[in-house]
Amino acid sequence: MRAITVAKKDFRDAVQSRALWGLVAVFVLLLLLTTYAYTQVPELFGPTPEATFGGLIFFTVGITSLFVPLAALVVCYKSVAGERELGSIKILLSLPLTRSDAFFGKFVGRTGVLAFGLGIGLLAGLGIGSVLLGTVDPIALFGFLLLTLTFAAVYSGVMVSLSALTGSTTRATTLAIGFFIVFELLWDAVPVAVVYVIEGFSLPTTFPDWVFLVTQVSPSTAYLTSLIALLPDVAAAQGATVGGGVDVDPTAVEPFYVTPEVGLVFLALWLAIPLLVGYYRFTTSDL
Amino acid sequence: MTAIQIDDLSKLFGDVVAVDGLSLTVEEGEIFGFLGPNGAGKSTTIDILLDFIRPTSGSVTVLGHDAQREGLAVRRRTGVLPDAYHVYDRLTGRQHLEFAIEAKGGDEVPIALLDRVGIADAADRRAGGYSKGMRQRLVMAIALIGDPDLLILDEPSTGLDPNGAREMREIIRRENERGTTVFFSSHVMEQVEAVCDRVAIINRGQLVAVDTIQGLRDATEAGETLYIDAERLDEEIVIQIQKIDGVSGATIDEDRIRVVVGDRSKFRVLETIDDTVVPIQDFSVVTSSLGDLFTHYTTEEQEVRA
Repeated sequence: MRAITVAKKDFRDAVQSRALWGLVAVFVLLLLLTTYAYTQVPELFGPTPEATFGGLIFFTVGITSLFVPLAALVVCYKSVAGERELGSIKILLSLPLTRSDAFFGKFVGRTGVLAFGLGIGLLAGLGIGSVLLGTVDPIALFGFLLLTLTFAAVYSGVMVSLSALTGSTTRATTLAIGFFIVFELLWDAVPVAVVYVIEGFSLPTTFPDWVFLVTQVSPSTAYLTSLIALLPDVAAAQGATVGGGVDVDPTAVEPFYVTPEVGLVFLALWLAIPLLVGYYRFTTSDL
Repeated sequence: MTAIQIDDLSKLFGDVVAVDGLSLTVEEGEIFGFLGPNGAGKSTTIDILLDFIRPTSGSVTVLGHDAQREGLAVRRRTGVLPDAYHVYDRLTGRQHLEFAIEAKGGDEVPIALLDRVGIADAADRRAGGYSKGMRQRLVMAIALIGDPDLLILDEPSTGLDPNGAREMREIIRRENERGTTVFFSSHVMEQVEAVCDRVAIINRGQLVAVDTIQGLRDATEAGETLYIDAERLDEEIVIQIQKIDGVSGATIDEDRIRVVVGDRSKFRVLETIDDTVVPIQDFSVVTSSLGDLFTHYTTEEQEVRA
C-alpha cells in the first residue's frame, strides 16, 4: 500500500519526461507509416498477399521489441540513482516509507509511465491499422497487449534495478546503455561466437539445439518467442518460427526445451532476478 | 524519557572516520542544538538517526525505537528537514504535500501547511522554480505533517534571509511549545543561541562539549566581560581589581581594563572598583557569543589532537 503511494508520486513526476514523449511521438509516427504501408502492399512485409490483423500484430511486435527497451532506458535509468545523486531520496525516505516501498514503488510507477506511453502509441497504431484493414482479432490483440505490457514491466524492472545499484547517474547511464548494447544489439552474435569457439574455431553447418536457449537470453528475443507461444495459430499463418536469428531446423527431432514457451520462462526470470538483486543492493547500501 | 539516545556511535567511510565514538542523549521536550564545523560529522550522525546510513558500530535509539531495525516506527513520529536534499522539480508544492500526507497518513490540508510556512501563494507552481528559501519552507511544511513528536532539522536556516531565519526560529519555538522535541544542527551560532535549551559541539566526529549555553559560557570562563575606562591605569590597579570578590580575571587591554566577572553581580563589582580602587569614567559589557565559544572549543580540541 505504501509502495503504491510512492508509485503514484513517481508516475506524476516521470510522466512529465519530455524524452519519453518524444520517443512516443516517433513510435506512433513509425507505427502509422508502417501500418499504412503494410495495409497497402502486404506482400512486401509478410508471407501472405492479403493483409491480416495477425500480420499487423507480428510486424508491430518488431517495432515494440525495440521501442520498449529504449523507452524503458529513457524513463528508468535515473529512477533511483538520480534521486540519490540529487538528494530527493532524502525527502522520500524521511517519510514513514521503507526502502522496499521506495524501490518497488519506483518499479510500479515507472512501469505505469511506460505502459501509458506504450498504450497511447499502440492505440493509435493498431487502431488506425484495424480501421484500414476493416477487421480486428480480439484474441490476438489481447494476447499481444498482455505480453507487451509484461515485456514493458520486465524492462522497467531491469532498468530500475540497474539504477538502484549505484548512487551516480553517470554509472547508472553506463549500466543501462551497456545492458541494451549487450543484450539487444550484440546478443545475436553471442550464440554464433560460442559455437565458433566450442567447435574449434570453425562454424558447423547446423547449429546444436542448445544454441536456441542462448538466443532466448536476450529479453526482446524472449518476447518475440513468447508471442509465438501465446498465439501459435497466428504465428503459423505468418510463418513465424522460434530461432531468434539462428536457424534451428524445425523438421528435425528436437529436445524438449526447443519450444516457444521457453521465451515465457526467460521473461519471468528477467522479471524476478534483476528486481531481487536491485532490491537487495538498494536496501543494504548507504545513501 | 529520552528522545534520542546515541551510544558509542562510529561510522567509517573506507578509512575515513566520520563519526568517532559519539555518545549523546537528547531529552524529550527540549530544543537541542547540534553544532560543529563543516565536515565534523553532523550530517552523518543525522543520516544514521534516519537510517540513510548504517553505523559501523554503536547504537542509536530514537523515540524508544532502534533507528536501524525500527526505522519506520521512528519516521512515523518524526518530521525531518534533511541536509543536501532536492525537491521534485516537476511536481508542484501542493503535489509534494499530497504525496507526503498520504505517506504519513496525516489528515492535513496541503494549502494550510503551505500557509503555515508562508508559501501558500506558490502552491500550484512547480517546485523546480522555487527559490532555495521556498524549497526550505516546502520541506519544513512536509516535516510538520502529522504533528510529529520529534523534529530533526539539518541546517534549517540554510538559504533563508534573516527574516526567513527568524520565522524558522518561530516555527521551532511554536512546535516546541506544543511538546515537540527539536534536534537541529547548525553552524550558524545565532540560530542555536537564540532557541536552544542545550547544545552539543562536535568536531572531527567526536563530542567536545554538551551543556546549556550558560553552562558552556561558565565552563570556558568566557562569560561576561567588563571593559572599564578608569582615571588612571597601571599594574597596581589591575592587581587590586584581581583581588576583588567575584572577579575571575583582570588585564589591561588597549588602554582599558578588561575584567572577567564570575558569579557576582557586575554592578557590585563595578561599585567596588569605583569606591575602593579607582574612579570609573565609563564602561561597557561584552557577552561572549556562542560563536566565540564554538571557536574556542573546536580550535582548542584541534590543538590538543595535533
